[in-house]
Amino acid sequence: MKRIAVVPVLLVLLSACASQGLTVTDVWGRPSPSAAANAAFYLTIENHGGGADLLVSADSSACGTTELHETYDKGSGVMGMRPVAGIDIPAGGSVTLQPGGIHLMCIDRLADFAPGDHIPLTLKFQNAGTIEVDATIGES
Amino acid sequence: MKRFAIFAGSILALLLLVFVGPHVFRPYAFSGTVVPSPDPSYDFTLQSASGPVSLSDFRGKVVVLYFGYTFCPDVCPTTMTELAKTMKLLGSKADNVQVVMVSVDPERDTPDKLEEYVRAFDPAFIGLTGTPDQIAEVTARYGVYYARHEGSDGYLIDHTATVMVVDTEGRLKLLESFGTTPEDMAADLSHLID
Repeated sequence: MKRIAVVPVLLVLLSACASQGLTVTDVWGRPSPSAAANAAFYLTIENHGGGADLLVSADSSACGTTELHETYDKGSGVMGMRPVAGIDIPAGGSVTLQPGGIHLMCIDRLADFAPGDHIPLTLKFQNAGTIEVDATIGES
Repeated sequence: MKRFAIFAGSILALLLLVFVGPHVFRPYAFSGTVVPSPDPSYDFTLQSASGPVSLSDFRGKVVVLYFGYTFCPDVCPTTMTELAKTMKLLGSKADNVQVVMVSVDPERDTPDKLEEYVRAFDPAFIGLTGTPDQIAEVTARYGVYYARHEGSDGYLIDHTATVMVVDTEGRLKLLESFGTTPEDMAADLSHLID
């Protein structure tokens, strides 16, 4: 009996996902020393829809400015950082923002990032529109 | 019967030597790149929040040298977190290791700010800064590149993200590239302590 009840719930959940096309998971950031002016957020975006999308911008009330950035290897052990105009989310694919790669840069951090804190983030996509998520502060 | 026992024993000893020997006697292979430095490396003196600190102050300890800056959002906090994990993995051996972060942003990183920054990762870490000329000298001597470029709010610094390991005699011994796991780093450091 119980199993039958689960099916409609799953269907509702699946249709909710499909209508948006994108799911954002594993949103996190490191605890930031109070002396650190800047920080970074990391996350995974999955695209369940049939069309590609683009992460255009991110915003957080905990940061003066939030920018899409990329750490890249300049060779000879030198790491550089540059802003990126947008992050492609291919149809049926996923993109993970992680340390040493693409990240959301929190410039002029306004709040303390302590372990267990939840920092609100607004992600703007070209097609999916706005998605609100919370970054969990912790070490990964 | 006795002769058979000696024979069997010899065969067993031979097998042990052939199959186990190479694992026991094989020299340790460092994860990091080994730097041939017969003499002590450049002995700098820079400012900590509690006064001047020289590399030679840590003779007898392994020094983990990292060049970074507090405004760095991704690479530096990642490396500092991994170094803190490395120290935890080392347990009591961590007493024989000193992690030192040298700022490549002397204009913005004051000694007090650096101390607060590094201690957030591990209370035993030390942060050092100096005049722009002193930092230019130290980085040049250790082959560290750093270059500012404008960001939307202030500037960012592209820099060498390699972790440098100085042995107990003050000689630059290992270069650990960005992304080396705390496990590999701890094994390398542990080997230099013994």
